[in-house]
Amino acid sequence: LSDVPRPRGVSLSKASLYSPSKDFTCFDGTNTIPFSYVNDDYCDCFDGSDEPGTSACLNSVFHCTNAGHRPQNIPSSRVNDGICDCCDGTDEYAAPNTCSNTCDELGREARAQAQQLAELHKAGNSLRLELIEKGNIKRSEMGEQLSQLEKDKIEALKIKEEKEALKSDIEAKENEALKVYREAEEKEKERKAELEKEELLKEATEQFNKYDSDNDGLLSVNEIRVVNVFDKNKDGEVDQEEIQYFFGDSENVDKDTFVSSVWSLLKPLLMMEEGMFRPEQDDQEEHDEELPHEEEQHEQDQEGEEETEDNEQHDLNIDDQINDQAKTYDDETKRLMDEASEARRLYNDAERAVREIESNIRTIQQNLEKDYGLNQEYATMDGECLEHEDKEYVYRLCLFDRVTQKSRNGGGEVGLGNWGEWGGDGDNKYSIMKYTNGVTCWNGPARMTTVHITCGLETKLTSVTEPYRCEYKIDLTSPAACDDSHFIQQQQKKESHDEL
Amino acid sequence: VDRNNFKTCDQSGFCKRLRPLKPEKSQYTLNLDSVFVHGNVLSAEVITVNNNGEKKNVEWHYALRLSALVDGTFRVEIDEAEPLYPRYRSMVALDGEPKGDILKLISNENGKLTLKNSQGHKVIITAEPLKFEFLDKNGEPAVVLNDNAQLFVEPLKVRNGDGEETDIEGSLAENFKSHHDSKPRGNEAVSIDVAFPDADQAYGIPEHTDGFHLKTTTSGEPYRLYNLDVFEYELDSRMAIYGSIPVMYAHGPKRSVGVFWHNSAETWIDVVNYGEGNVVSSLVNLVTGGQKRRVDARFMSESGVVDIFVLMGDAPSDVYRQYSTLTGVTPLPPKFSLAYHQSRWNYVDEADVRSVDEGFDSHDIPLDVIWLDIEYTDNRKYFTWHPIKFAHPAEMVGNLTAKGRKMVVIIDPHIKREAGYFFHEDCTEQGLYIKNKDGNDYEGWCWPGSSSYPDFHNPAAFKYFAERYRFENFPGTNKDVHIWNDMNEPSVFNGPEITMPKDNRHYKPSQDGQDGLASFWEHRHIHNEYGVWHIMATHQGMLDRSNGQYRPFILSRAVYSGTQRYAAVWTGDNMAEWGFLLASISMCLSLASAGVSFCGSDVGGFFKYPEAELMTRWYQAAAFQPFMRAHSHIETKRREPWLYDATTTSRLRDAVRRRYALLDLWYTLFYEHTLDRVPVMRPLLTHYPKEEQTYTIDDTYLLGDKLLIRPVVEPGVSSVKVYLPGRDSHTVWYDVDSFQRHEANGYFTQEVTISKIPVYQRGGSIIPRKERVRRSSALMEDDPYTLVVTLDINNTATGTLYIDDGETYDFKSNKFIYAKITYEQTAMKYIITNSGNYPTRSWLERIVIAGIKSPPKSAKLIQDGKSTALQMTIHRGNDVLVVRKPAALMAKAWEIQFSY
Repeated sequence: LSDVPRPRGVSLSKASLYSPSKDFTCFDGTNTIPFSYVNDDYCDCFDGSDEPGTSACLNSVFHCTNAGHRPQNIPSSRVNDGICDCCDGTDEYAAPNTCSNTCDELGREARAQAQQLAELHKAGNSLRLELIEKGNIKRSEMGEQLSQLEKDKIEALKIKEEKEALKSDIEAKENEALKVYREAEEKEKERKAELEKEELLKEATEQFNKYDSDNDGLLSVNEIRVVNVFDKNKDGEVDQEEIQYFFGDSENVDKDTFVSSVWSLLKPLLMMEEGMFRPEQDDQEEHDEELPHEEEQHEQDQEGEEETEDNEQHDLNIDDQINDQAKTYDDETKRLMDEASEARRLYNDAERAVREIESNIRTIQQNLEKDYGLNQEYATMDGECLEHEDKEYVYRLCLFDRVTQKSRNGGGEVGLGNWGEWGGDGDNKYSIMKYTNGVTCWNGPARMTTVHITCGLETKLTSVTEPYRCEYKIDLTSPAACDDSHFIQQQQKKESHDEL
Repeated sequence: VDRNNFKTCDQSGFCKRLRPLKPEKSQYTLNLDSVFVHGNVLSAEVITVNNNGEKKNVEWHYALRLSALVDGTFRVEIDEAEPLYPRYRSMVALDGEPKGDILKLISNENGKLTLKNSQGHKVIITAEPLKFEFLDKNGEPAVVLNDNAQLFVEPLKVRNGDGEETDIEGSLAENFKSHHDSKPRGNEAVSIDVAFPDADQAYGIPEHTDGFHLKTTTSGEPYRLYNLDVFEYELDSRMAIYGSIPVMYAHGPKRSVGVFWHNSAETWIDVVNYGEGNVVSSLVNLVTGGQKRRVDARFMSESGVVDIFVLMGDAPSDVYRQYSTLTGVTPLPPKFSLAYHQSRWNYVDEADVRSVDEGFDSHDIPLDVIWLDIEYTDNRKYFTWHPIKFAHPAEMVGNLTAKGRKMVVIIDPHIKREAGYFFHEDCTEQGLYIKNKDGNDYEGWCWPGSSSYPDFHNPAAFKYFAERYRFENFPGTNKDVHIWNDMNEPSVFNGPEITMPKDNRHYKPSQDGQDGLASFWEHRHIHNEYGVWHIMATHQGMLDRSNGQYRPFILSRAVYSGTQRYAAVWTGDNMAEWGFLLASISMCLSLASAGVSFCGSDVGGFFKYPEAELMTRWYQAAAFQPFMRAHSHIETKRREPWLYDATTTSRLRDAVRRRYALLDLWYTLFYEHTLDRVPVMRPLLTHYPKEEQTYTIDDTYLLGDKLLIRPVVEPGVSSVKVYLPGRDSHTVWYDVDSFQRHEANGYFTQEVTISKIPVYQRGGSIIPRKERVRRSSALMEDDPYTLVVTLDINNTATGTLYIDDGETYDFKSNKFIYAKITYEQTAMKYIITNSGNYPTRSWLERIVIAGIKSPPKSAKLIQDGKSTALQMTIHRGNDVLVVRKPAALMAKAWEIQFSY
């Protein structure tokens, strides 16, 4: 067949378009030239069809038969450029000794390889069928689980309502009983405040009398000049600034003014002198520093809302207990309080049960929505984690979940992406997984990973690379990708393409 | 940019000191009794005089030398008559000692000396106050020195440390941010002013970003020349960046002239253009007597001597030639280096290099060179390979060279201080590093962390560095691995202004009786030329490694006078923004006029990511700039041409293919540059010096005198304004895409699409093309030529073609072809002008003749005495005649005869 006479670089299928007995018309019809102009190393056709065997046209194609291997079409710009592109060496005819014919050898290797691949697919295919079966079972199990959970949820909600009613009932009674105690407590507080006020007045008056050396009921500037306590900056004298601090613009103060305003300024100094008190100012500063910290803490707490609720309830109970210890209740109140706290506990348990069920439902629903491949062949792998180590890092791929990287020299994990979607082209949608929105690179995009899956008897990672900055590529083999019939189809497609 | 990292004039002691000095009259006087003219040199004593009271006291003695040099050039040198110790003179700028002309003293009267060179240029020296007027051949003043009395040479003084000198600001020491400069020699600045009568514009003194022609600096900062690594440098700025070439040209309809301020220290330059609207008119009247055409400049340097060359022109190509005669030309580069380069910080490993290499093939885009940035090394130790990522360098290089491709790897001057690293240990043991002010090895911070820097002034360090390039010392390299010398300002991350402390010490050959300050140079003296030393050592090493057989290719970031003799340069770490695309044109034009023709910018921009349109326009522009390399920052998105959408990829492919089609034009232009010394990339005024509109155009330029390029540098446009020069000479220009003919008439509007940038071939020229697309330029060697002939109004055209092996020095032994091609109505001739030959297998594929009104009826080729009839096709729409496949061999002369 390959002996059919045709111009150099023309494939068998196009041979009939070149007839030596008549003028040649360019395939695009724009020009007709003597047949001697075909392959004369000068481009006459816009579409390059007159020079299939030379490099004269920018856009023409050179066909090599490559007997013994696959035929090949190369851009004709590669004809006679000194590099062997065709295994039969026909592209370098200008210097006949440049290339040797390696087609037989290459063909043998390629066929052996194809054979191997076919066998691999065949062997892998039976594993794949098992995976499919297991996947389908898993899915239907999840369906069953889901409907059971829905039922459980209804039941749990019922219990929760019941417990809530019981709880509010007993809490109302408890409240009523505790009212008496709270009022008493309030009164006690008022009494204490009154006592404190009296104490203060007494103390202030004592001091006033002490400094009022002429006992005229007025404390004058001269009287305090000699008192150490008023020497605020401890420089040995009570200067104008210090007087101003205590007295304002007045020359003297009476007892009432002293008690109401001066004493509050003086007392801390007095106490400090007695070593009982740190300056209030310092305390304030420390407090200021702590403030933002506390806010932060608070924000963090808000993130885990459910937890916070629990915590608060917990705190309340502790408060109650402390109060309990300090006070004595009558037996009836005690009983009510015990009952109320038991009711609260039961209610909390019921509520927790509902939440757990709801969370399980959500997980199963999400999993059911996930695309586990054409035939659920990847379903059993959800959550399975695989590792790969190179010289610097340990990579970990948890299928349908996330990809991470950890330096072998220590340090934390870096997220390289979370499960996004299948991303292969066309027919091969399920050959590539995309994990997106990993940790953001400095000055750059969020890290992402593509997982390229090929047929293999084991599910394992074969390589991890970072071809583009912050874009990772993982090669994964798995029997799930060993679709025998798909493979054969693709091979046939390739071969028919080669023949063109 | 963080401007706080860099000095203003006020923060630079000598600039702050000198800039306000504007004496009414110069204190410098020529001692007429001391004048002595011998050969091409006038020598005389100059003194400064203190006019306090009635008695004149001589303050200081200086030695003046004025020399006449060949090709209309003068040199004025003023040094101290007896300096305490020698003052530094730049060692690498000049391409050998300049050759002398004759200098004749023709009169000495009324306190004025008149001298004359062989070409009829005169110099009038006024003795008091000292002034130098250089007159053109018509006797009109073209350049005047010290007209504004700003000549200063601060004398070196003994420092006794008793605080006596502290009255002069900053003389004992200076501080900038946290950096201290001990200034052991005290003040030693020099300055001079230059006036250019009749000049409309001044240009030159690269490297700056504020456009091609210089702006008046009175109300702002002067132009600064101090090689610096400026992170994210800004546009429209007179700040110093990576390069410093102290040559300035002035141009007007009357003439072109220039001055070359031969000094390697930090330099500031003030410019006043009296023609600019914003210069105060009273000042204009005062200085120029109402004459609006004049530019004044003033050079101030921190140290050295006054050493200024005056280039008398008088055409633009004359001043370029005069400057290049002094400092050398770009030697003929290896051909691959004019092709397309693909770089990135960083191609991460050998597999990545392989996939980029294959990517170009599978997308059918030609490529000659893949570059490796710093990460190829073992932890940034130069002359090593990363043991994992680049474990098989020889194999990797072999994969590239099998397709005619090359590799460029980076070698920076900072050396990692790490025990066990041979380079560091050798330099430490042999004392090859630059020393700090206390005489110990200087340590700075750069890419490898703690680093030291070889002191190339030390011949042992120079030799050691050069020898590292030997193939046996740098395993994995071969003749096809070329070198990128980056960070050679030098960049020091923790140094003052991100460079080296000025009081660091460099080697000085020991001489009898010289010790202390006289026994070393300070970094301040040599700073701007450090990068040249670096590339000189690389160049020497690359020559030696192949026993002088192959031409080295080197890329340098630091630039100074003389750089062009060893390396190509690029405009450093630019940004993926439209403004930087525009700036790439004016920056390279400015560098080219200052002798550095081999220039380009990071295609696409180094920082940030260029969207498709910007990337397309950048490729299209760069295809017509001398050095075409795509490069990008490590933190940016990958952007090899096929990573854009398919349409954009095809436009990038088209731009690269255009480059390859014209490679032989580029190669011929670079060859001719070594002959005529005119820049390859030229401002329009080069060939249209009387057209005043061209003086300020810096988005349009010429390649040789044949192509006019106006890259599209603005987004979203459907037309651009293009200036076509040559109205008076009835020049016509042909659109290279359509062969549409335009008569030169200043500005016109050119429609563009995203696929088109305006490029025109001048009528009267012939351009060689190779239209077959190959994977690399080496694979095109035997490919046939297409000659594109565009006719002038006389229906004639001429062109040239240079052919050799593209990589060796064999052309020096006449193994090349330099052909002249002429077209007249009756015949087209290909004449080999040189006596040698080169056995090229290339042949003549096609001739395209544009602008042919009455086509010939028949044509025949005559070569080797044989005559062959040729086929022709006429395209009536645009008057283009195509001669089909003459198949003449380009190794020999031929002629095509036309009959009508």
